[in-house]
Amino acid sequence: MRVLVVEDDSETAEYICTSLKALGHVTKHASDGKQGFLDALDNDFDVIVVDRMLPGLDGMTLVRSVRGANVNTPILFLSALGGLNDRVNGLEAGADDYLVKPFAFSELSARLTALARRPPMQTEETRLQVVDLEIDLIRHTVCRSGQEIAVQPREFRLLSYLMKNAERVVTRTMLLEAVWDFHFDPNTNVVETHISRLRNKIDKPFDQPLIHTVRGAGYSLHG
Amino acid sequence: MDKHARKGPSALRTSIRLSLQYSFLYSVLSALVFALAYWFTQYEVQDWVLDQMRSDAGTLVEIFELGGDEMLVDRVDALAEVSFQNARVYQLLNSDGAIVSGNLSSTFASPLPDYLPAQDLPLAGEIHDEVTGYWLRADDVGPYLLIQGTGDHIVLEILEALGMALVVGYLAVVILGLIVGIRIGRITERRIAAISNTLAEVSAGNLASRISTAPKARDDLSRVSTEINSMLGQIKRLLESQEQISNDIAHDMRTPLQHLRQRLEKLRDSPTIRPDDISASLDQTEEIIATFNALLRIAQIEGSDRRERFGLYDLCEIIANVTEVFEPAAEDAGIELTTKVPGEQLEVVGDGNLLTQLLSNLVENAIKHCPAGSKVLVLAESTLAGPTLRITDNGPGIAREDRERIFRRFFRGEKSRNSPGNGLGLALAKAICDLHGAEITVSENDPGTTFEISFLR
Repeated sequence: MRVLVVEDDSETAEYICTSLKALGHVTKHASDGKQGFLDALDNDFDVIVVDRMLPGLDGMTLVRSVRGANVNTPILFLSALGGLNDRVNGLEAGADDYLVKPFAFSELSARLTALARRPPMQTEETRLQVVDLEIDLIRHTVCRSGQEIAVQPREFRLLSYLMKNAERVVTRTMLLEAVWDFHFDPNTNVVETHISRLRNKIDKPFDQPLIHTVRGAGYSLHG
Repeated sequence: MDKHARKGPSALRTSIRLSLQYSFLYSVLSALVFALAYWFTQYEVQDWVLDQMRSDAGTLVEIFELGGDEMLVDRVDALAEVSFQNARVYQLLNSDGAIVSGNLSSTFASPLPDYLPAQDLPLAGEIHDEVTGYWLRADDVGPYLLIQGTGDHIVLEILEALGMALVVGYLAVVILGLIVGIRIGRITERRIAAISNTLAEVSAGNLASRISTAPKARDDLSRVSTEINSMLGQIKRLLESQEQISNDIAHDMRTPLQHLRQRLEKLRDSPTIRPDDISASLDQTEEIIATFNALLRIAQIEGSDRRERFGLYDLCEIIANVTEVFEPAAEDAGIELTTKVPGEQLEVVGDGNLLTQLLSNLVENAIKHCPAGSKVLVLAESTLAGPTLRITDNGPGIAREDRERIFRRFFRGEKSRNSPGNGLGLALAKAICDLHGAEITVSENDPGTTFEISFLR
């Protein structure tokens, strides 16, 4: 995927770009807000990473301007500001996700992948399938190898999030935010225990495991 | 000190200036009252005088009808005679226009004017010194023509009395005003000096200094003093909390940083680096960041810039979500996590994320400190005072001497010193409660612990 990185701290920018390139992505770096805005207008990026504090044009204004110019490329805010309202303000300005520095690259990469994958047209799929696992988003049913599996509503949300992001890595914090609306990290291993419950239902009775733990990053659902 | 000496007289000057402004205002008002009074008096007295003269003429007509020419002339002569200092003038003319009686020496030109200045009147003898003119009136008395006049000195006398009253009143107001003004100025000056001295002391570093206030005083300066005192208290608390944060960071971030450094130093010197070693270092970094974020979050909540985002949240919904998140973790730990909520909504004004985190921290705390086989109950109910949230467990409980301290940052009881956690969970819970104006208390559950949060309606 093509990633525009608008970041004035050269060390961080270098770290993000090098790491993304190592994963096979194409990156472009803009070191100030104005350059970032002009690059964003080109509109041929899959996702944009914007630092909040930028010389020239600050991140908030940049995001608002980009949205004002009808550019709908997904934007991830990267910020050293971990203030209580900063996340909400950032999302209100038109960003799609928010990540506070210091961050782990695995977290950034997982979030960028999830953002870039979003279809431009919101075509809602009603059935998702990975190998022999099938879920119906309308009837809330789960089937594996033609066998119906009973799951609780929240387990269904967890599973459908994993299915929608099949083949990709989803991190613990992404799951906490998307499935439980927890915008903080509890110390207890709550995500692990939920995943383990889910595994007991959809993986354990079958030969091939579908939910995989990605060490140091999160989980991934694939064949 | 001289800075405050200068402030004193200015308070005094303010009161004198105000007194003078009020006396000027009063003098303008007095002048207006006087002008109005002059106009009304003039009008009313003239009316009354003319009425009097008409009634006198009527009496003379009756006398003429009773006693004829002689009695009339006698009476007019008598009237003219008793008129003290010519306050009233009379002239009786016969049908030929000749003077028959009265104290006027010559006749008037026709037509008779309503009012004539005193010096134009042909009068013998001295005139009352306050008469400046006469109101005149002519009436027929039988064949005679009676001309009467009354001096206008009554008007002047009334105005003189009124003017005197106004001047005396004016002087009294000005003098009293100045005395009271200066006195109030002095008192105010003393109290303002007390306030500014206290503020100077606080600026100089004595944060404990307070303005002395009378317990029953309810006036504006007492109110300001009380408010300043409470503000100073708040500042003191904030500074102490600031200091506390710095100390906390110094004490409790150093240890994990030291561990990280040791690990990295070991890695630098070791010929082979295993991925596990790097992971351990990264985990350590993660832990430091988490502690740091938690500290920052507490500080931000205590700085409370979040109230603007407050909304209405249903406690029962938050309880349902949080217990669902922790349910499997509790089950794994062998703990029975149950909830008891009323059938209706329990609305709380606040921040949804923070309320979720509050409950999450308390549930997490209970699960962490209770052994397998324990029970944790999350209960919400509506009381008269407002919604109440209670987290009860039958675990080992909290030592009595620790109950006061558990809400402090980095506080960890003896039993949990070696378990994972940063000792910030309850401090964060307390900060969230404070932001929501809710009270959090901890009590013995015999056995176990109860945390109770009372929200205000």
